[in-house]
Amino acid sequence: MTVKKFVGEDPKSVSIAIEDRFDFSLHQQFRDAYSSSNNSGTRFVLELAKATYMDSSALGMILLLKDHAEKLSGEVVINNPSEAVNKILEIAQFHKLMTINV
Amino acid sequence: MVNFRLTLILAGFGLTLLIGINVLFIQIPAISIVTVLLLMAIFAVFFREHQSQSNQIIELQAQHESIDVEIIQHTFTQMNTLISKQVVIVETELERVSDLVRDAVGGISESFKYLQNLSAEQQEMINTIISNNKNIGDDEHTTLESFVNDSSKTLDNFVGVIINTSKQSLQTMVYTDEMVKQLEGIFKLLSQVENIASQTNLLALNAAIEAARAGDAGRGFAVVANEVRSLSVNSSELNNNIRTEISLAQAIIDKLRKSVEEMASADMTSTLEAKDKVGLMVEHVGNVNRETNCVVEGLATLAPQIADTVAVGVRSLQFEDLTFQTLDSLKHNLVAIESLSQQLTLFDKNKGNCTEQLLDIQQQCEDLIEHSEHADSNRSVSQSSMEEGEVDLF
Repeated sequence: MTVKKFVGEDPKSVSIAIEDRFDFSLHQQFRDAYSSSNNSGTRFVLELAKATYMDSSALGMILLLKDHAEKLSGEVVINNPSEAVNKILEIAQFHKLMTINV
Repeated sequence: MVNFRLTLILAGFGLTLLIGINVLFIQIPAISIVTVLLLMAIFAVFFREHQSQSNQIIELQAQHESIDVEIIQHTFTQMNTLISKQVVIVETELERVSDLVRDAVGGISESFKYLQNLSAEQQEMINTIISNNKNIGDDEHTTLESFVNDSSKTLDNFVGVIINTSKQSLQTMVYTDEMVKQLEGIFKLLSQVENIASQTNLLALNAAIEAARAGDAGRGFAVVANEVRSLSVNSSELNNNIRTEISLAQAIIDKLRKSVEEMASADMTSTLEAKDKVGLMVEHVGNVNRETNCVVEGLATLAPQIADTVAVGVRSLQFEDLTFQTLDSLKHNLVAIESLSQQLTLFDKNKGNCTEQLLDIQQQCEDLIEHSEHADSNRSVSQSSMEEGEVDLF
């Protein structure tokens, strides 16, 4: 389980990739990945293609990220969630809260 | 010759009756009874025509006075015997037919009555199903469908609560981490305080040395220096106590972290399965509802059809009345045949004028014919078809 952060040429676009299990053990790394990005209108892209499992704390983390993005008038986009992860996002009705590119 | 034809006719009459009874035994439809009765009526008419022919023959023979009176009387006696026997047989068979019809109609009536009750019960059950299908039975008219939909919503709310709890727990985690940083800050401050205490201690030691060097003049100052030193020792102790307390607080915070982690991490797999099941249930309930509605509608149209069919059956049971009336009228015909037979026995060769006696018999025959025709026109069976009237047997 790893959290990788990529900041592109445009500092207003932050990409965070999660691999394997997305659970509570990542909370510190995950928060560190976004809390320093304070540019107004930042777009946070969550790459979940390699995330195989997700529990409710992961959903909570994404919501906190969303709060952070909203404070900056930015947005959160989830890219390529695996089937299992996408199902959990569906139950949580995250499709209504943010853009999810399957 | 006459005797032979009469026997033939009566035998035919009896045979027809027997066939009719056999048919009746197998199945009871009113049509076969009516057919049998029609055949019997035809034979009765044949018999009457034959009777008048034989009367004419007797008349002719009497006129010519060339016939043997003895033979006539003997023939009449034999005819009488035969007719009497046949009449008894026909009467017995008529009684049997009556009994059979009565028994059969009784059984059919009972079964129709039972069928009507069953049909009513069935209708009631269908009504119950319809009302059950519409609501579960509470005052809010909850249907099974709305219940399942509510369950789905409740599950969504539950998921929402879980996620919100996780979010809040993670937020708590952030605060906790900040608190830990604060505690680490306090530790740094404490080591500064520790520094100050040891410097004070050193200062007090220096002061004591300086006081000793001053001799008697520094004696008072030595006491003050000593007090300052013990203050520094006390402050060191206090410092250590604070450090211990804060360490305990840190241990408690570690426990808090564990607890918050548990609160934040809920496995969603079971919720996922539950959600899938509820989805399947919604679909299933929809299907069952649709199918049940179809079947119930079908049943609702079937029930009145059953009632109608039973009503037709009940109406058809009027054949009992019609049959009894017809059988009764046949008994009248038998009485006519019997009285004719009686007339035949009155012929006595020793009584004198044979021609007159024969003419008497002829007259009696004419009376019987007239009486029979009168009775025929007044036959109590006025209904020729069972479709015309309605009889409620129950």
